[in-house]
Amino acid sequence: MSGAGGLLPQGASYGGLVSTVADPLMLRPAGRRYWIAFGVTFVMTLGFVGCIAWLFIKGIGIFGNNTTIVWGFPIANYVWWVGIGNAGTLISSMLLLTRQPWRAAINRFAEAMTLFAVSIAGLFPILHLGRPYLAYWLAPYPNTMQLWPQWRSALVWDFWAILAYLLFSIMFFTLGLLPDLATLRDRAETRAGQVVYGALAMGWRGSARHWALHDSVYRAMAAMAVPLVVSVHSVVGMDFAAGLMPGWQESIFPPYFVVGALFSGFAMVVLLAALMRRGFGLESVLTTRHFESMAKVILAASIVMGLSYLTEWFMSWYAGERAERTFLIHQLTGDDAALYWSMLACNVLAPHVLWFTRARRSVAILIVVSLLVNVGMWMERILIIWDTLSHDYLPSMWRPWYATIWDWAVLAGSLGFFAFMFMCFARLLPVVAMHDLSRLLYRQRGGA
Amino acid sequence: MTDAPSLTRRQAALGLLASAVSLSACGKPAEEIVPYVEQPERIVPGVPLRFATSLALNGYGRGVIVSSIEGRPTKVEGNAGHPASLGSTDAFAEAAVLSLYDPDRSRAVREGTRIASWDGFLTALRPRLRRFEATGGEGLRLLTGHVTSPTLLRLMGQVQARYPAMRWHGYEPIGDSNARAGAVLAFGRPLASLAQLDRAVVVLALDADPLGPGPDQIRHARGFAAHRTARWENKAALSRFYAAEPVLTATGAKADHRLAATPTLVRDLAIALASRLGSGRPAPVLPPEAQRFLDAAAADLQSRPGEALVLVGEWQPPEVHALAHWINARLGAPVEHIEPVGPAEPPAPLDALIEALAAKQVDTLVVLGANPAYDASAGFAQALGGSGAFSVHFGPYHDETAALCRWHLPESHPLEDWGDLRATDGTASLAQPLILPLYNTRSAPWLLGALLGTDEATAHAAVRDTWAAQRPPETFEAWWRQVLHDGVVADSAAPRVTPPPSALPDLAPPVAPAELTLVLRPDPSVWDGCFANNAWLQECPKPLTRQVWGNAAMLSPEDARRRKLSNGDVVRLALGGRQIDAPVLVRPGTAPGVVALTLGYGRRRAGAIGDGLGADAYALRSPDAPWIMAGLTMEGTGGRTNLLFEQPDRRLEGEARALFPTVRADELARGESRPPVWPPSLNPDRVSDTHAWAMVIDTSLCIGCNACVIACQSENNVPVVGPDEVARGREMHWLRIDTYDLGPPEDPRPGFQPVPCMHCEHAPCEPVCPVEASIHDAEGLNVQVYNRCIGTRFCQANCPYKVRRFNWFGYADGQEYANQGAPVLAAQRNPEVTVRARGVMEKCTYCTQRISAARRSAEREGREIGAREVVTACQSACPSQAITFGDLKHPDSPITALRREPQHYALLGHLGTRPRTTYLAAVRNPNPAAEEGGS
Repeated sequence: MSGAGGLLPQGASYGGLVSTVADPLMLRPAGRRYWIAFGVTFVMTLGFVGCIAWLFIKGIGIFGNNTTIVWGFPIANYVWWVGIGNAGTLISSMLLLTRQPWRAAINRFAEAMTLFAVSIAGLFPILHLGRPYLAYWLAPYPNTMQLWPQWRSALVWDFWAILAYLLFSIMFFTLGLLPDLATLRDRAETRAGQVVYGALAMGWRGSARHWALHDSVYRAMAAMAVPLVVSVHSVVGMDFAAGLMPGWQESIFPPYFVVGALFSGFAMVVLLAALMRRGFGLESVLTTRHFESMAKVILAASIVMGLSYLTEWFMSWYAGERAERTFLIHQLTGDDAALYWSMLACNVLAPHVLWFTRARRSVAILIVVSLLVNVGMWMERILIIWDTLSHDYLPSMWRPWYATIWDWAVLAGSLGFFAFMFMCFARLLPVVAMHDLSRLLYRQRGGA
Repeated sequence: MTDAPSLTRRQAALGLLASAVSLSACGKPAEEIVPYVEQPERIVPGVPLRFATSLALNGYGRGVIVSSIEGRPTKVEGNAGHPASLGSTDAFAEAAVLSLYDPDRSRAVREGTRIASWDGFLTALRPRLRRFEATGGEGLRLLTGHVTSPTLLRLMGQVQARYPAMRWHGYEPIGDSNARAGAVLAFGRPLASLAQLDRAVVVLALDADPLGPGPDQIRHARGFAAHRTARWENKAALSRFYAAEPVLTATGAKADHRLAATPTLVRDLAIALASRLGSGRPAPVLPPEAQRFLDAAAADLQSRPGEALVLVGEWQPPEVHALAHWINARLGAPVEHIEPVGPAEPPAPLDALIEALAAKQVDTLVVLGANPAYDASAGFAQALGGSGAFSVHFGPYHDETAALCRWHLPESHPLEDWGDLRATDGTASLAQPLILPLYNTRSAPWLLGALLGTDEATAHAAVRDTWAAQRPPETFEAWWRQVLHDGVVADSAAPRVTPPPSALPDLAPPVAPAELTLVLRPDPSVWDGCFANNAWLQECPKPLTRQVWGNAAMLSPEDARRRKLSNGDVVRLALGGRQIDAPVLVRPGTAPGVVALTLGYGRRRAGAIGDGLGADAYALRSPDAPWIMAGLTMEGTGGRTNLLFEQPDRRLEGEARALFPTVRADELARGESRPPVWPPSLNPDRVSDTHAWAMVIDTSLCIGCNACVIACQSENNVPVVGPDEVARGREMHWLRIDTYDLGPPEDPRPGFQPVPCMHCEHAPCEPVCPVEASIHDAEGLNVQVYNRCIGTRFCQANCPYKVRRFNWFGYADGQEYANQGAPVLAAQRNPEVTVRARGVMEKCTYCTQRISAARRSAEREGREIGAREVVTACQSACPSQAITFGDLKHPDSPITALRREPQHYALLGHLGTRPRTTYLAAVRNPNPAAEEGGS
């Protein structure tokens, strides 16, 4: 479809490509900047653990939720993290299936991002429970109560969607990693490195047979990944859409959530790519061309998002239900209207700057847009919860909502934890798929 | 060593054996304990015993039946045989059981700040009594509240006889001095009048609130309901209420026509009405709106002779009361008159005591059931402090007055000792103890006995002596048992007297209207402040304003706009040199120029719950005009406080009016009887195999009094969360009374809609729960399985009625508010209802424990559950009987007919939830002649 021009450095060699990725890992010691960042994220992680401990000691009441707005930050965080987690596997599999050459440089850390984001997302539904120590009741296991989970509940679908997606993502990630692990094993200069990477490489020797099997399994898994990616966030959307509340009960929710996930996920990948590129000197393999492609996806997703909002408004009005209409008015003019309009500005307006080629090619602009998109998508998640719950059918129970310090602390802590895991990943595994780059080079040189 | 008796081997062995035995029984308490090897007579573990007793409000008795479970009183209900209860309760009676277990109750005799003993008190008292015997009691003063108890009156008579020079002073912060003085003006003597709302078809309430809190609320509510129960078959005339009042009351809310009138205008209306009825006095010029109101009301009143009634509130001056007596006589109004209930000779006023204290003429002061240091307007505390008198405070709390007195004696709770009381109509009832006093407390007859020189007087003996004196000894025992069983002394109501023809009072010249008038009212939560330490009442949303944990200065929207004030702005209210700071609450329906404040807040020594809440309105009160005070000044202080509400003030407009439909009486007459129709559904229809429990709430009858709210809290162990958690919107009440303003701010026309769980047949909460904690049972109840709940809160998120409540903290489970986690409060818990843990969802169960109890007894007796056998706590409490509960499958169930009424509707029925709790729309009966003037 699109050529591979501009994706690889001029005059690249196989050895050069591998060195670009592997050398920072194997040869260069981590710099001061790395250790400072590592320290900061480590402290944030400790803070996250501390918040969770306090949450378990004091109870869910430390959050700002109330009788009317029974869900708050934890659920918004959950939806947001799942959304981010969506993009990695999607990028990796969808772009593989559609043979996008620009996939090669970004798929590895996008997949890692998925793993970390989904793991964090999976924590939040547990943290938000009144009795988190009973979370395992969501799993169907033979028990003395002779009770099965309630299969009609979207939360049970959620449980399975997240679990399946997480397990699948781990397998997909590991499979993609095998050849690179073998490369690291071969280049490792310490005994420990050789043993650890060797064990993880599971005896990969790079034989033609290995490559053939790997290729077919990997493609088959990619084909399985796409519906999974769609399902996971559709199910998250159904958490709301299966409800009865104005602003939730909308059949547009599943696709709209998937696009939203793609949107925020790509924005996060752009941010991470910019960081990686700077931090590991990967300018030669993470090129402007990559950023441009991702910018186009963000722009497209933003248009779909805008269309979804329009559809929501239209349906709220067209359905003629009083609660739906007052909800819409509340959304556009109520207590949280400022938040709603900022959300629209971030999600619908800001990405339109990417119509300009120069903007798409400017990493700085892309970073700003991506940050805005991620903030906007988080606001969207929280507003889906706030607006609906604070303004549903009976005016007597309409309430405002205020976040507490713990709401913010847990959100910040989860970001810190995410960054911390990424810091570890960046020093332990190759952040770019070396074998995919080499394959790209091979193709570029005219190979099959 | 040699002194120690040496043990033989056998003794040593026995000793070892004994210690082994006692060690193996580790954990056995040191005291002797007796298990129920022989079960005490009547006590079956788990089966509550119910005793009739009486509780007082303002000194008047209300008969109640209290459930006691294994010796612990847990729940108060009405006594159908008692004329002031009629089987129902009010919020104060329901909450009495929490006061019994209040951890802040006074537990010890105190001399100053020191803990002392009862004997120590007697030792200190005796020499004084001996002196008084010599002097005839010169310098001995007794201060009480309003006393109706025949026993206390008898004992006080004896004390008076023993010390003829003793003076008895009476003080009740919410008294009836205006009504009394009005009766004197009209009839020449202080007759008490009892309005019979059940016989009135047209009622004009002039600043009167018969449906509001007070000792007669239940009786009036039942009377109101008698002519408001609009039913398909019942074609009897509906009553029509007119209300003119400065501040919105329950009566004004239920009225068909309401005029927001300043106190002066209320007086003018009374004069104009009298003039219309031929008083011959010149009618004042009324504003056009008031004139229209009066025209309609007067014509209506005159058209129903014998069934028309004019009521005047205690707050109005005596001359308006006298005018009302005259008007009622002209109308032949259904009002009965009796001699005042209480002492034959009214006690001396508090002012005289304050003067005597200031003049150091008081040697010994005994304060019995009064707290003048807090609730008397001024001077008492100062005078007492400087008097050097030997002062004794006898009361349940170490309160403001106790702190000033030399001795404080703890009084037993009414549920702990014997007593008797008279109701507003004079009916006597006995109070019997449900439990031994929890602490070393005694009751008033003991203290009066001590004054009479007997140290061991008991309340039991005193009460029996009172009643035995009036009966032949051979029948007394049987009579006594019967009265204890019934809770009420049969035929003891005061005889009705025919009043002399009422005279027209001389009217004082009208006072120049002041810019701002302060109107004081009893508080619907804490009354005069005596319930300030009751957490249930503090957290109970006040009718109409829905405010909790405090009071506020209520203003009309116009005044607030003009002075640029909004809810929560702190203003300084100054009147006659006295001033307080209070937050503003803008309440539509308040007459412009009126600032209304409720009494009972700003307590300084109420306890951990009641201290420091709200503004102390007593500080502004002047003794000569206790209720209406002109010449108030109000200015903003720039401060703000956060007023706490359980429902932000909401008007229903446009399509939202469908949430609270109202029907006009003439529309209703044309309506059709029809069963409810539900939208189609894919969900299976069969939801009940055996019974189909359902509830219908008649919103025409609901007066928003909160009796049901507290009854539910008491029955179902609903915890208190405290002001901070309310501020975060986390109240726990299972039953709330949604109050919507249906009209414009000038005429808000509020409607009350009690909202318990709807027990939807197609409940939105059920499919969303991932662990099946929210499920349907075989009787159609939507039940919540607490120990299965993991706290996802999806159920509440998906509940369109938002009736579920979540334990964000362990409100009843280790993280209680203030002192409400005190161990003694565990005794109040209903053992039939789980106390919920942190992190679980809870909600109204339709009192499933009561359904179970009925099912068990029916099964034991081999019969079906009766049509009216199951009574929920809210239903039982409701003074106007607005709540009906029953089985839709039972042929005789009253519920089926109610669901066919033309005004029947399901809240949000269009969502397809098929609620089992449904409503009857509020029926209004406006006067067609007054319609164009704004009903």
